[in-house]
Amino acid sequence: MKVTRRDLLMWSAGAAAGLMVTPVPWKLLDDTSIWSQNWPWIPQPARGPVEVKQSCCTLCPNGCGMRLRMAAGWPVGVAGVSSHPISRGALCPLGFGAHQLNWHPQRLRAVRHRGGNSSWNEARTAFGKACSEGPVVIIDGYPGRAASSMFVTFAHKRGGSYRVVQGSETRALAPYESWSGVPASALGYDLENEQTIISFGAPLLDGWGSPGRFTRLWAERAAGATDPQLRVIQVEATFSRTGARAWQWVPVHAGSEAALAAGLARVLLEEHLVAARGPMPPLTLADAAMQTGLTADSIRELARTIAARTPAVAIATDNNPAIAALNVVLGATGARGGIVRKSKRVQPYVSADAVIPSTRTVLIDSSVPWDFVPQTDAEVFRFAAWDGGSSKADWLLPAPGFLEELTDVPTSPTSAIETYAVAPTLVKPSQEVQSAAQFLGGIEFTLTPTDKLIHARCEDLFRGRTGSLIGQEATPVAKLASVQKLEEQLSRGAVWVGEPLHPESLRCELKEWPVTTAFSHPGSWSTTWPEPVLPPLASKLYQESNLREPPEKRTA
Amino acid sequence: MSARYGMVIDLDRCTGCGACMIACAAENNVPPLPQATARTGLTPMLVRKVSNGMNGTARREAFIPIMCMHCEHDTPCVKVCPQQAVEVDKATGIVMQMPQRCLGCRYCMTACPYHARYFNWWDPSWPAGMEKSLNPGVAVRMRGVVEKCNLCHARLHSAKEKAAAAGKREIDPADYVPACVEACPTGAIRFGNLADGNDPASQEARSPNAFRLLARIGTEPKVYYKSKETWVRALAEANSGRTPETSPEVSSEVQHG
Repeated sequence: MKVTRRDLLMWSAGAAAGLMVTPVPWKLLDDTSIWSQNWPWIPQPARGPVEVKQSCCTLCPNGCGMRLRMAAGWPVGVAGVSSHPISRGALCPLGFGAHQLNWHPQRLRAVRHRGGNSSWNEARTAFGKACSEGPVVIIDGYPGRAASSMFVTFAHKRGGSYRVVQGSETRALAPYESWSGVPASALGYDLENEQTIISFGAPLLDGWGSPGRFTRLWAERAAGATDPQLRVIQVEATFSRTGARAWQWVPVHAGSEAALAAGLARVLLEEHLVAARGPMPPLTLADAAMQTGLTADSIRELARTIAARTPAVAIATDNNPAIAALNVVLGATGARGGIVRKSKRVQPYVSADAVIPSTRTVLIDSSVPWDFVPQTDAEVFRFAAWDGGSSKADWLLPAPGFLEELTDVPTSPTSAIETYAVAPTLVKPSQEVQSAAQFLGGIEFTLTPTDKLIHARCEDLFRGRTGSLIGQEATPVAKLASVQKLEEQLSRGAVWVGEPLHPESLRCELKEWPVTTAFSHPGSWSTTWPEPVLPPLASKLYQESNLREPPEKRTA
Repeated sequence: MSARYGMVIDLDRCTGCGACMIACAAENNVPPLPQATARTGLTPMLVRKVSNGMNGTARREAFIPIMCMHCEHDTPCVKVCPQQAVEVDKATGIVMQMPQRCLGCRYCMTACPYHARYFNWWDPSWPAGMEKSLNPGVAVRMRGVVEKCNLCHARLHSAKEKAAAAGKREIDPADYVPACVEACPTGAIRFGNLADGNDPASQEARSPNAFRLLARIGTEPKVYYKSKETWVRALAEANSGRTPETSPEVSSEVQHG
């Protein structure tokens, strides 16, 4: 049979039309779609035994209690620990994505020297040579740990100095250090007994201190009530997240917080709303009103509101001495519901903000994601798990990431009581990393390693026989059979809590109203905070929703 | 006895921290999506900022977490799905989404009055190595399907397995808590069985300050909100034909296509 061109075309057209009325093309389309949706390289969760471990978050100095669900040895979920004495089961949003941080694209994976690859041996040789040529400064991003003790010893042995990076909460307590002689790191806020809080811009509901402590307190005693047990007054130029939820928002001109503090102190003293405990500020009420943009009457009314519900405390965001002086006038220093002393053991720190005249070498331990960047001509050795401020360091040294090393967790900066916890190694380091403490131990062999220092601290706690161990249940240290029991429980997530000190163990002497210009940072050793490295899922908060501003839009 | 799981969210306690959003995404293996925008993202739990539209000291702001409302009656997404990929579970009242059946037509997204459904535009991917952090209890969903909150159904399965292992028929309520409820630092979200009159969530749902979003359309959502603020309660019927002068401003600009 001869097949003509016309026959071929008719057969093709018929076949095409016929195929369309069969399910074949649709089935093929569906199968192709399903097949392409399940490529073999699409990630699948790891399979393996599931277990739950308890530890503390080490991403910031607040050390919130963390419960980690582990599958096949890797953390796959994070939750708070309700029995934790400070965080009380809460975590900040970033904590819930913290278990993914170790695989962040900005994770530092190799030793780098001025943009090129290098090795640990070269870094050790260079650091040893630099130390022999001049003084070394060690800057600690997370003071109070066992590793910090190693840094202090190393700096002492090499004739150098030890400095710390203070968070805004600790800086806010600095004025009391100079008035009382008690180190700022040994002070805290007795928030639980507060009736009025005047926050001068402190983001109380947005990451201030240990997030769980204040938010739980606010939810229990303030949220939604017209006349709450805890009045939160937010003094701030802009309408912040805390201002939105506060009992009262007081909008003032930016930078006029010191003037408002002076105005409030003047009214409190003039009207005898408080016992005369502090000096009269030189600023008149009219001047305070002019500087703040408020009326004299509204400042007077605010002072009466504060005095009506005591204990009251003012919380600052920086070492503004006028706000600290307002607390002295309010009687909120060394008193129940005020600024209290939490520890007798802490030594005063020297801030990394202070000017260091001549330095050959700077070693920075900033394995927390929020890096500290000093402006210096010295040779900088930076230990970091994430590459936040990389361009500022000569040497970038990969440090252990989240839960990749054994560390101890000292007291949260704002806590009113002393605590101690241990975060064990729960995650296998994903590449060759070394902590600053291990690195220094390889140079100065006489240094005691961190695990032995942690053991020594546990022995001190055991010998002290004070405080309690808070785990599944509270156990007084005096009832523990051995130091091994104490260490075992700490490594399982229990927290040691000390006895509260008598409030009057802090006494502030203030004879004159302080000059308010004293709290600016020195320029020669100026500091900046680079863009933080956040868990990848944090983009849900600012990219896939309008809940927050993206990090690049935030000012340092 | 069948349960009716639902939530009561106290908006006076919500600080808009976003912990629920991150905890939800981590629990449900939602990828980070660096290329996504507010329009194309995946946020089964989305906290929106709203205000009373005033300025100065008269301004008030609140935060409203929005997720699938698990509508009980005439569930709009169920009615429009051509694939039977959505159904209301008779035993729990949870509106279930079955990605294996979903063909990605997105009718349900159009039908949802709460814009609580999201389309999975991309193959799920994580930075190298991060797949080790994925939750083994939840499957990674494929590109081209619609996503939404399922009240952490995997946790309900775990609770059932635990009860079965102990020889019990009923789960312990403490074993079934969705990730967002667990994460909320102020305890603003209360979860429970609304069919049980003794359940605290059920009792809070009957509070005079409790309300549901768009209750007038009669879909009987099982997510309740609670606020003492009149202007916040008025948001429940926002965009219901009232003029902007009488309707509180909703400052969120998030839209989903």
